[in-house]
Amino acid sequence: MSVKDINVNQATPCTSSQGNYLWRDPPQEKKWADCVHCGMCLESCPTYEQTGEEQHSPRGRVYLIKAVAEGKLSVDEHFANPVFSCLDCRACTTACPVDVDVGGLIEEARGQIRQAVPLKGWKGAVNKFFLHGVFPHRNRLRSLGGLLRFYQRSGLQKAVRKTKLITIMPQHLIELESIMPDVKRSHRKTHIKAKGETKHEVALLTGCVMDVFFSDINDSTINVLIRNGNDVTIPTNQTCCGALHVHAGDREMGRKLAKQNIEAFEKAKTVIVNAAGCGCMMKEYTELFRDEPEWKKRAEVFEEKVVDISKYLHDTGYEKPRAAITTRITYHDACHLAHGQGVRQEPRDILLDIPGVEMVHMPNADRCCGSAGIYNITNPEMADAVLKSKMENVPEDVEMISMGNPGCMMQMALGVQKYGRSQKIVHTVQLLDWAYQKEVGDDHHVRLKD
Amino acid sequence: MSVLKIDTSDKHIISLAAIVGGPRSILFKKADLLAYDCDGFTIHKHLPKAVVFPKNTEEVSKLVKYCSDHGLPFLARGAGTGLSGGAIPVNGEVIISMVRMKKLISVDLENRRAVVEPGFVNLKLTNSISDRGYYYAPDPSSQYCCTIGGNVAENAGGAHCLKYGVTTNHILGLEVVLPNGDIIEIGRNGVLDEPGYDLLGLLTGSEGTLGIVTKITVRILKNPEGKQTVLAYFDKVEDGSQAVSDIISAGIVPSALEMMDKTAIEAVEAAAFPVGHPKDIEAVLLIEVDGIAAGIEEQINQILEVCKKSNVREVRAAKDEAERGRWWANRKTGFGAMGAISPDYLVQDGVIPRSKLPEVLKKIAQISEESGLRIANIFHAGDGNLHPLVLFDARIPGEIEKALEAGSLCLKACADVGGTITGEHGVGIEKREEMRFVFKEEEILAQTNIREVFNPDNLLNAGKLFPTPGRCVEIKKEMKV
Repeated sequence: MSVKDINVNQATPCTSSQGNYLWRDPPQEKKWADCVHCGMCLESCPTYEQTGEEQHSPRGRVYLIKAVAEGKLSVDEHFANPVFSCLDCRACTTACPVDVDVGGLIEEARGQIRQAVPLKGWKGAVNKFFLHGVFPHRNRLRSLGGLLRFYQRSGLQKAVRKTKLITIMPQHLIELESIMPDVKRSHRKTHIKAKGETKHEVALLTGCVMDVFFSDINDSTINVLIRNGNDVTIPTNQTCCGALHVHAGDREMGRKLAKQNIEAFEKAKTVIVNAAGCGCMMKEYTELFRDEPEWKKRAEVFEEKVVDISKYLHDTGYEKPRAAITTRITYHDACHLAHGQGVRQEPRDILLDIPGVEMVHMPNADRCCGSAGIYNITNPEMADAVLKSKMENVPEDVEMISMGNPGCMMQMALGVQKYGRSQKIVHTVQLLDWAYQKEVGDDHHVRLKD
Repeated sequence: MSVLKIDTSDKHIISLAAIVGGPRSILFKKADLLAYDCDGFTIHKHLPKAVVFPKNTEEVSKLVKYCSDHGLPFLARGAGTGLSGGAIPVNGEVIISMVRMKKLISVDLENRRAVVEPGFVNLKLTNSISDRGYYYAPDPSSQYCCTIGGNVAENAGGAHCLKYGVTTNHILGLEVVLPNGDIIEIGRNGVLDEPGYDLLGLLTGSEGTLGIVTKITVRILKNPEGKQTVLAYFDKVEDGSQAVSDIISAGIVPSALEMMDKTAIEAVEAAAFPVGHPKDIEAVLLIEVDGIAAGIEEQINQILEVCKKSNVREVRAAKDEAERGRWWANRKTGFGAMGAISPDYLVQDGVIPRSKLPEVLKKIAQISEESGLRIANIFHAGDGNLHPLVLFDARIPGEIEKALEAGSLCLKACADVGGTITGEHGVGIEKREEMRFVFKEEEILAQTNIREVFNPDNLLNAGKLFPTPGRCVEIKKEMKV
């Protein structure tokens, strides 16, 4: 049965609909057309590993997404379950013999589901509060940061923990609360000159969550950039990249944020990103503008400018630090860096260029940790199972785990705490920055956890 | 977990769920079942009644007994990567999924054997023992994800079976749940030459029609000391085929001898693991030798010489392990790579005497021309195991039928030169009728009589492996033409 046959009698509000996809921007046929159901993706999938159920495997999900277009299945809660159980980790695309863009299909399918079956209950509340109320608004994020800072500094955090007030929160939120990074106030200039001669001019995405919870990493990124001859601009009208929205099926909001960022970075030649999830999203902005040709063109130009900090340093060159940091570390591949952007060797090379650093191989280093945006909040049980198998692969005898994504850093910190491990969690660029700092005698300490 | 209520009034579903410990181990809603309506063979589709996930042999036995007592058709499924439809529930079966029984039970290096549960993934066995210098030899291209239980059912082969043999040569013992629920062990302790009938040989490759394997003792091998791979490009298929024959005649036993033709090269180069094969050649050969390090270089030189004599355009050995790995990834993802040049494909699995290679390839080209469908060829040239891949578009009315017919004709071409219709993918539902190309009525009856003994009610994986009586007349007619 062809797609056209099914369409004939469908009264649909949108002209580009297929089968039972009734809204704008449905999953694209060309994305699933290459899938021949061979199954090479199965073992790459963390949720298939946990369940053994094919509807929770990449080829199963692709099959169901296709079935809706063919009119065999409707967009309802039963369809939503396998589509939303996906971590969107993209490991299947790496494993796929023909690079089927499963992640893209999942995001498009989620867009349809969210319009057909709006979220209810606490999941809906969490989504609405964070995705609409907080992340897109820098001031509100800062205020939230301020609140958290107040919570941490005022003794309220201690009080809450002491009085067991915390026991009224769901278990996974308690766990997340316990690894919440120390929130710092950040006042940053919008232009930072290179130290010495200016070789390049770059703009930096400071991110939404990143700048509140991980402003240290943004500081390190800036330090490393200016140290290597880059003038850094931080456009003030930039906003959240929209990844969390698109992952959650809110493509409308994703488009709004994408447009704002495309405009904010219009003048920049290079856009540096230090969060894998944001980088991957921004490199896929064109996907959001399939039926807006003007914006699609601008998005294409924008995508080319976006680059992960580790790849940028690797490609443009950086000074090897002279001071040593004597430590044994292992590296975790953030999904949206390794599978999403193909950046695997660059961060490892940077770490190995730091004198004194000894790298220990982590088996299945490019396996998802279960963070996956806000997946660990919306699907705590699965996220936990995925984290458990991740932690089993972390070598015993290392002091630090390095990576390039804030979501992973939170999740891995949770893993370290939960499974009684001792490792410190660091961003790749932090370690490089500390090595530079050490040259001038300013010995930094890992600040993520006390 | 079992406190969760089952949302159905179907008493069979409730009973089956009770056996496997509750709703988390059973699927019965349409959206969940749809992903199980086919396996790697996507032409026939049928929804199962339910999918159950047992955790151990006892649960499998109870499930089987329940189905048997209540007349419910049932079948076992592994990763569902089979290419002949052996795991497709054509009768609305209860699928007993073995994927949660995925433990590596024991490794006995001294006696070179390992015991695995059926859901254990093929490549994981090698990965679990490679640091100690051992590996599991059968390596179907789907080894990244296919299960050893499925390999036993299909008697799976692979690129390296030329030297080391197919799955049946590596199975030392099986624990099997028979279709009445009884549990038996055959090939106890992996001791060779058990007295009595060779049930191990009978069960391996029986395509899930005689019983459900719940525990497997396999042979493991010591890693070869050395390994080297040669890549050779030919302007003519005939020259490539000649090189294959000459390598074997020279007394070399390569561990693998693989060939891809022009269309196959187009696909792998358009897919995710391209290695830069020239687009204008007619055949690429991948030749691997392994063994004690001392003899490898000499064998490689011999192979290079043979290829040069056969008008090779370019031939060279892999410069390092990374290059070798890239060549193999390119070859092993070959079937999936068809997605890059065609919406659907159907893979056939004929076996022919090596010397007939040019003749059969010509015939296949003719079939392709007459059907109007492209046919790519990827094959284990060393043991004459051809994989013609018929490319088609299921959305175009009539193309599925055309593809099936072209595939069937390819198999006939193999049978006609003294070959057979399957080397490693099994018969399944795909090649049932083509069994007539190689077996007489009496020969098929001898086999279905055996099935009768094990599976008298034919509730276990019915409709697979053997032709349905109705259609054999037509096939016979076709054979006479």
